[in-house]
Amino acid sequence: MSPLDPRLQEALDGERDPGDLPADLRDAYARLNAVTHVLKATPPVSVASRVMAEIRENPAPVRGGGPARRLIHWLGRPRAVTVRLRPVWTLALAAGLATVLLLPWSNGGPTPGVAQGIASFVGHFPGARSVEVVGSFNDWSRGVLHLNDDDGDGIWHAKAVLPAGPHEYMFVVDGERWVSDPLAGRYVDDGFGAGQQNSLVIVRPVSAQP
Amino acid sequence: MSWKLVLALALVARSAPLIAQNGNGSGTTRLAGRVPAAALPAIDSIIAAAAAESLPTEPLVQKALEGGAKNIPADRLVNGVRRGLLQLRQARAILSHAAPGQSPPEGHVVAVAAALARGLSGPIVERLLTLAPDEPPGPALHAAADLVAHHFDPDSAADLLVEAHNKGLRGVRLLDVAVAADHELQRPGGRTPSEALAHVRAMLPNLRQGRP
Repeated sequence: MSPLDPRLQEALDGERDPGDLPADLRDAYARLNAVTHVLKATPPVSVASRVMAEIRENPAPVRGGGPARRLIHWLGRPRAVTVRLRPVWTLALAAGLATVLLLPWSNGGPTPGVAQGIASFVGHFPGARSVEVVGSFNDWSRGVLHLNDDDGDGIWHAKAVLPAGPHEYMFVVDGERWVSDPLAGRYVDDGFGAGQQNSLVIVRPVSAQP
Repeated sequence: MSWKLVLALALVARSAPLIAQNGNGSGTTRLAGRVPAAALPAIDSIIAAAAAESLPTEPLVQKALEGGAKNIPADRLVNGVRRGLLQLRQARAILSHAAPGQSPPEGHVVAVAAALARGLSGPIVERLLTLAPDEPPGPALHAAADLVAHHFDPDSAADLLVEAHNKGLRGVRLLDVAVAADHELQRPGGRTPSEALAHVRAMLPNLRQGRP
């Protein structure tokens, strides 16, 4: 920093008439004097200080009530939540949701409604490659309800949620052999003139099941 | 894609098969491609006749679908559906005789037709219909058919079911009467059918709930 000319310092201190200064110093005096005025015009306190002073002058109303009321107030107060999702995770989550909703019930437990019940189908077909149940409950459509033999002991089984009431059905073994359920206990002639009998299951509504 | 849209699409996709299963739709529309083309016109006219007589058509559609799935030849398939129509007509006649002047619900017609198909005679069916005219007749009729299928005397079977109903058994609980009677019949030592029925009668109404 260059030292201030003593004559200029004296003029700034009011000890010398600025008009007596040489031209170059008079110009410097004028600029320094203008800066001094600007600094004098600056507010005496900062913005933060003024805001805090305002808060002190107008305090927020004090809410009554104990911790429970404050907790309820805290829980009920709307808050802005920002969630940032990557497209890959969004799609994965959507796929998972769709899988849960679209897949048929697992072996863990079909859940029947009020007018529905659970029907169990069991058959002993050693050596069979596939066994399925076809009946009035699925419009006699193939490929809808397959029995499983996970341990390969020849005992095939499946459970299904069906509307309560009677249903005629047959097993289809290996995709071609139509067989009555030997454990059904109820049979009815299929009416096509060859003496073939449909099995009959009467599904009890869940409210009537033991 | 918004989450609401994903959820809505998944729910729609989930419910679509249920709608397809439950919806009756037009009978002949459902038969296209499922039954031999040669049988379609005859089946169509049988179903139309049933509809014109205000008879339920779904059992006939089911019979046609069944025949198609089993690869039944067209002539036998048509005969099977026609036989179904005759049973529906007979069922409604029995219902009308049991409750003159009333239009029987479709469900009752179907239940009686099923009982006839299982071999119950008209008089036994009619007797069981008067048991509780306001209740669905299916369970009592199936219970009677179960008993008859196990070689119990039809009249004795009907007597037992009437008594079970009078002692408070209703709906599918009537099926337990037939299960209990069959149990008694198969007990070691051997019981005659009449002895088995007598034992069940003595247990009423406290019967174990059997399998469906």
